[in-house]
Amino acid sequence: MLVIDKYAYTNRIVNWSPKVKGLVWLLCMVIAFQPVVWLKAILIVAMAGDTIFVTKVSIQRYIKWFYVILPFLLLSIIGIVFTMATSKGQLYFPIRLFGNYFGISRIMLPKGLLLAVQVLAAVVSTYWFALTTPFRQILDLLVSLHLSNLIIEETMLMYRFIFIFIDTFEEIHRAQKLRFGYRNIRTTIHSLSILVKMLFEQIMINYEAMTHALDAKLYDGEFKVEKSRSAND
Amino acid sequence: MIELKDVSFAYEKNKPTLKHISLKLGGDHENIVGIIGPNGSGKSTLFLNLVGMLKPSEGEIIVDGMPISYHKRALNNLRKKVGIVFQNSDRQIFYSIVQDDIAFALHNLKLPQEEIDERVDRVLKELDIEALRDKPIQYLSGGQKKRVAIAGILVLRSEWLLLDEPTAGLDPDGKRRMLMLMKRLAANGQKIIVSSHDMDFMYEICDHFFILNDGQIVKSGRKQDVFLDEQLLRDCKLAQPWLVKLHQKLKLPLYANQQALFEAQESELKGGESK
Repeated sequence: MLVIDKYAYTNRIVNWSPKVKGLVWLLCMVIAFQPVVWLKAILIVAMAGDTIFVTKVSIQRYIKWFYVILPFLLLSIIGIVFTMATSKGQLYFPIRLFGNYFGISRIMLPKGLLLAVQVLAAVVSTYWFALTTPFRQILDLLVSLHLSNLIIEETMLMYRFIFIFIDTFEEIHRAQKLRFGYRNIRTTIHSLSILVKMLFEQIMINYEAMTHALDAKLYDGEFKVEKSRSAND
Repeated sequence: MIELKDVSFAYEKNKPTLKHISLKLGGDHENIVGIIGPNGSGKSTLFLNLVGMLKPSEGEIIVDGMPISYHKRALNNLRKKVGIVFQNSDRQIFYSIVQDDIAFALHNLKLPQEEIDERVDRVLKELDIEALRDKPIQYLSGGQKKRVAIAGILVLRSEWLLLDEPTAGLDPDGKRRMLMLMKRLAANGQKIIVSSHDMDFMYEICDHFFILNDGQIVKSGRKQDVFLDEQLLRDCKLAQPWLVKLHQKLKLPLYANQQALFEAQESELKGGESK
């Protein structure tokens, strides 16, 4: 079970209009991608502080959520700042390699750091939005933006089934761990391959059951998503 | 009235799951019909045949005098008449919010919005789940999910309601609520066909029974008749309901439900005191 989702339903500003929250998020995005760096830094601190305040989440747990994006962020920054060059002068900490030099590019380093700040600001703002807005409100927002029904439908179904997928994954993983499936690298790889296979099988079985259930509910190819009634009042 | 005439069904050739089943559902005073059978006896397969999701390899199924026709439009009409709730709730709830999912079938029927709202409100109240209206599905308990799944079919207001193992995985409170719900629905004229191997539950709720074993109907009748043969039930990997055991082992009268037993015993105790 994803705990992260619970905060969206129990925070201090859960009853704010989703449009206001959407606007705040948009404003944050503009700040995150405008050129003035110190504004971005302020945004990160302010939004992180506000998120912790309104959701009453502990700082440790909040920081933990960034572990998810950290690998991606680090990989892209590393890809940007490390480079090969023909002369020493273009690099910090040059290392001689195959007749050329390998190191951190003097031109790309500031750009890489800027990108890191930018991404962090955007992620902090998005976390703020995701952690304060219940899913039904997000749907209301998408509907009132007149997005195509296909996108809304997809969003809705993903949100519904991601939890079933995670639950299934955890159940299988736990059962394997209990029977020492993850003792060493060899068994880990073996167990993981079985896990993936089982997930596929589950998908096939569930697909059939869901087709029957869709038939029983007279499904005709469209999942209608409308504004919730409370949003209409 | 649903009638099966010599219906057989096989998933694989020469390995029939249902074997020459003939039966009539929906006679007088048979509002809740129970299909009892052990695991793998063909209960779910029978249900899928009843709603036209599987087609019998032999025989035919007649609903209100007309054999089931397997065209899409005819099937949709059949499913407006016969609603089915499956065992696994998670596989039949598609929306992330309770009231959206309940309205799903009505949107598919393209009903006007006011009527959809009205029907959803009514069913939420009927199943006592108004408080769950805006809840995301993944935070519901098993029993709550079950009721949402039933609500999603009840809104169709179908004449028949098929419930496949409605008490599987429910706690005693969930079971009690299911019992009350089914009684209430039946009192309002809803015809229900329910499958289960929960003997006490079935004994309490059903008016008429079919015992299904290895794809065949081995016995049918009212509750006074079908549960008396202990050996037959044991051969079918089933057991007697506890009220029947009391009747046969302790020679008590056969009570229709536990309430009747308790009331009879209480009045007897009082009678004893006054002597």
